[in-house]
Amino acid sequence: MRTWLVLFRKEWLELLRSYRLIWLPISFLVLGVSQPITAYFLPDILASSGGLPEDVVRSIPLPNASEVMAGSLQQFGTIGLLLLALSSMGAVSNERASGTAAMILVKPVSYLSFITAKWASILAISWLSFAAGYVASWYYTVTLFGSVGGPSVIAGLLYFGLWLSFVGTLALLFSSLLSSPAAAAFGSLALAALLQVAASSLPFEQPWNPGRLSQLAAGGLDAALSDGGSAWLTVAVTATAIAAALYLAARSLQGHSRS
Amino acid sequence: MALLTVERLVKTFGDVRAVDGVGFQVDEGRCIALLGPNGAGKTTTIRMLTGLLRPTSGEIRMEGVAPGQDYRGWIGYLPQSPAFYGWMTGREYLIHAGRLCGLSAKEAARRSSELLERVGIGAAGKRRIAGYSGGMKQRLGLAQALIHRPKLLVLDEPVSALDPIGRREVMSLLGELKAETTVLFSTHVLHDAEELCDDVLIMRSGRIAVGGPLERIREQDRKPVLTLETEGDAGSRSWLEGWLRRLPDGIEASSRTASGVRLAARDLDAARSAVLRELAEADVRVAKLEIGQTTLEDLFMKAVGNP
Ligand SMILES: Nc1ncnc2c1ncn2[C@@H]1O[C@H](COP(=O)(O)OP(=O)(O)OP(=O)(O)O)[C@@H](O)[C@H]1O
Ligand SMILES: [Mg+2]
Repeated sequence: MRTWLVLFRKEWLELLRSYRLIWLPISFLVLGVSQPITAYFLPDILASSGGLPEDVVRSIPLPNASEVMAGSLQQFGTIGLLLLALSSMGAVSNERASGTAAMILVKPVSYLSFITAKWASILAISWLSFAAGYVASWYYTVTLFGSVGGPSVIAGLLYFGLWLSFVGTLALLFSSLLSSPAAAAFGSLALAALLQVAASSLPFEQPWNPGRLSQLAAGGLDAALSDGGSAWLTVAVTATAIAAALYLAARSLQGHSRS
Repeated sequence: MALLTVERLVKTFGDVRAVDGVGFQVDEGRCIALLGPNGAGKTTTIRMLTGLLRPTSGEIRMEGVAPGQDYRGWIGYLPQSPAFYGWMTGREYLIHAGRLCGLSAKEAARRSSELLERVGIGAAGKRRIAGYSGGMKQRLGLAQALIHRPKLLVLDEPVSALDPIGRREVMSLLGELKAETTVLFSTHVLHDAEELCDDVLIMRSGRIAVGGPLERIREQDRKPVLTLETEGDAGSRSWLEGWLRRLPDGIEASSRTASGVRLAARDLDAARSAVLRELAEADVRVAKLEIGQTTLEDLFMKAVGNP
């Protein structure tokens, strides 16, 4: 446990020294704030640009608060996810290629600790950034559009946070399986997109599909987006998949660490 | 008492048998040099000893450690090209390494300051490693290998990145360490190995060509050798030409350069007086005359030279 804390402290320090601990939360903050603000001012923007007749502009309905929050989640799920994947794509492969991993793994350090310390730091930065952006989005939404239900906001935070954690774990797994960081980022994002598309477009129920998580988060906020299925199996499968990915990543370090 | 026993160690990469049935023992308190040409399998062997690479087959046993149990805490390892987190300072890295080996925060900090001084980069300890030179990294690598007072110190070419002065410093440091712990190091500098080690292992294409205590190997290969170097002027050269053609009985040339020759003799004393007499008579401009037994270089050449 003490070694684990030492490893985690190193990861945290690296996040800080590489400024990721600053620019990632700021990016999420910007994403979170921009959604309610643009939604609020959209009619004005359209009117002042003069491209549309007045009555058309006036007939554009102002979205309700829940729809705006759901829109923010969509931003986090695309650009935010991309940023997180880019920031963790080299977590293991870079250390392997440069040889720093070998310097650490000859010490009495368990492979699982090495991986889970990285994983915990990815989760920490993901949750921190997402929470910052989400809370900011919530604040502006409430200010500009009126209140949103507290429980559904918290459920949204938890489901979506779990989704980000799942994709972050995939990035870590691919980063330990593949030597190219770009391939790791692409692999994790592609798999995430695939699961998401499957969850929303295949004609049968998939209560096990982690790709449903973002839908669950949005569905709590905006009933129109809900698929009505239950959540517990999705959460359980996601947690199991995360544990399995960590185990696999640790296994891949053993024995055939290169260079 | 053997601290480390290696038996029938094999590592294959696809078709390449990088290490092909290596076996040796490392006795406690000894200093062992692992020698061999490029690609002989030194690094591969060392990486298997440190647990970084899983052997294809064979056995590695550490004294007092049950088979299959983790002995990494007993080993200090400096890779051929050590890599660090560039964003850390040298001191931070040492503390990190020390804490991973189970030292307390206080102990790790104390050891770090001590080792930074000892390897000669005390002043750079507060600087980011990204700004270190290759030699400084090599020294930091040595310090991190020593941080937890390992029972076995494994060094892969510890001096290859150093300038001649740095090499001398690190070699004398290794000389001190030799008294404190067991050391296994690979090197291409035969002179260093000769000066420092008790045992040698000379590898060739994945196998151990020659191995054992340096003295014993020399004993077995005792063959008096004379090395003669002239200044290379015309007179000396033509004398050398002529003399080599009428070498006295019991002396033969084993290799020669433009200005010098290496001679093997049956009877060293007889050969010595013959050569000295000849040199005085012909008034040769001698630059160097070495009369002694086989050097490690001779042994090395013999072991790996001609297949
Ligand atoms: N990861 C690897 N994949 C494939 N072949 C490898 C790998 N590592 C080493 N080899 C091969 O194994 C052989 C031994 O390599 P090794 O690095 O052990 O040599 P070495 O004795 O350390 O050489 P040097 O003096 O150049 O450091 C070489 O033929 C090398 O090409
Ligand atoms: Mg090597």
